[in-house]
Amino acid sequence: MPVALLALWEMASRLALVSPRYFPAPTTIGAVLVDRLAAGDLGAALLVTLARLGLAFALAAVPGVLLGLLMGIARPLRAAVEPYVAFVFPVPKIALLPFLLIILGVGEPAFVLTGAASAFFQIVISTLGGVRTMDPRLLEVGHNYGAHGARLFWKVILPAALPAIFTGLRLGLGLALIALVAVEFIAAKSGLGHLVYRHWQMLSTPEMYAAFALVGALGLLLTRGLRALQARLLSWQEESF
Amino acid sequence: MRRFGRWLAEHSIAVGSPLVLLGAWEWASATGLLREAFFPRPSTIAVHLRQLGADGTLWGHLGATLVRIGWAFALAAVLGVGIGLAMGLWRGLREGLDPVFAVIYPIPSILFLPLVGFLVPPGEIAVVVTTAVTSFFLIAFTTTHGVRQIDRLVVEAATHYGARGWRLFTAVLLPGSLPSIFTGLRLGLGFALIVVVAVEIVSTSRGLGALLWLSWQILKVEDMYATFFVIALVGAVLYYGLAALQARLLPWVQDVADR
Repeated sequence: MPVALLALWEMASRLALVSPRYFPAPTTIGAVLVDRLAAGDLGAALLVTLARLGLAFALAAVPGVLLGLLMGIARPLRAAVEPYVAFVFPVPKIALLPFLLIILGVGEPAFVLTGAASAFFQIVISTLGGVRTMDPRLLEVGHNYGAHGARLFWKVILPAALPAIFTGLRLGLGLALIALVAVEFIAAKSGLGHLVYRHWQMLSTPEMYAAFALVGALGLLLTRGLRALQARLLSWQEESF
Repeated sequence: MRRFGRWLAEHSIAVGSPLVLLGAWEWASATGLLREAFFPRPSTIAVHLRQLGADGTLWGHLGATLVRIGWAFALAAVLGVGIGLAMGLWRGLREGLDPVFAVIYPIPSILFLPLVGFLVPPGEIAVVVTTAVTSFFLIAFTTTHGVRQIDRLVVEAATHYGARGWRLFTAVLLPGSLPSIFTGLRLGLGFALIVVVAVEIVSTSRGLGALLWLSWQILKVEDMYATFFVIALVGAVLYYGLAALQARLLPWVQDVADR
């Protein structure tokens, strides 16, 4: 089916059924893709996006999981922090960008933090959910066998919350990518998102589609890869969104 | 009054903590501990919010955003549920479309803006279609999943009792996949808000995203905060409103999105 669609597109473009200016043939795009990768500028843009993504993810994952776990264990903390998390969670994080630009100035810290914010709240909510929805019988069994405090946490609570934490990390990474590409599209002057924007403005469509395809490949690799990793590491867990 | 008192006692931290924070913010900005240029006082922001509301600016932008979300969501919901159901029911279609969807779905939707602009007339329609893209895939995925996870036994029992074709669909398959569909609709609506704000920043002069970006460009910091507050409010209403609706309509469903 994907092959058939590509072939159809190729034909339509070659026969000028659709404007080749806006929809260049897939083979043309493929050639440009290989060309640009060989020239190095596409690879460089990919690396910039990847570096931002890695940094944003690290900045979100560590505090996100910690805060989620702490909120799950300590009731007063949850009561105090939950209103903020609940209020900011459904907000498009791209809306934070102008604030970060004003406070931190136009530059990498503002870009990366917007991506991090996008992942952070998802990770907190998933982690908290993992602790809160764990089977209370597990806690009781742990108690009865004499597990308290740190031991109870390491041996019972953390393993029980692990699948939810992983799901949160996976969703968070996806959201960080979305936010970062949007940031690059809107404000940054580098990265794959910016590349798509620039070639759109210049109407150099084959280059635009090449960058577009690379983002697609990156997204596919991340979502599929993490899903496979999750199935591998947490093989007892049921599949969930 | 008594019940309210008890509620307040139970939720004292949850209610108190934002109040304390707002108070501290007000005080810190007033005394210069926080730079007022970056962190205007909450009371100043509230005044600006009222002004934006009073001169009608806010309503125009809010209306534009809501209309776009509405159209995009309707488009994504109709197509997503329709195609999702079809994919759940027919194996051939599912196996054909799955790889195509898997490649397109993780692409951040803002990137579709140029592409959509080539396909449909640029302007309002392109904004709506771009906003609908990711929601559509989400809804199609969850709907397919919903049909597929129905217990085989239930379907078999229904066929034994003579349910076929349309009846089987409306009496068994549709109700069985409804929880999943609803979750998809909820997630899809959330994504529509995310995308529409980004698209408005890039390409429109009306809408909450545009207002936010414009306020930044002319450094009206108070208006930025006020707009952010309204965007957050829209997000909260959509998200928690639909969660409440789901709890009302499908009370037996355990929420899958929160796992």
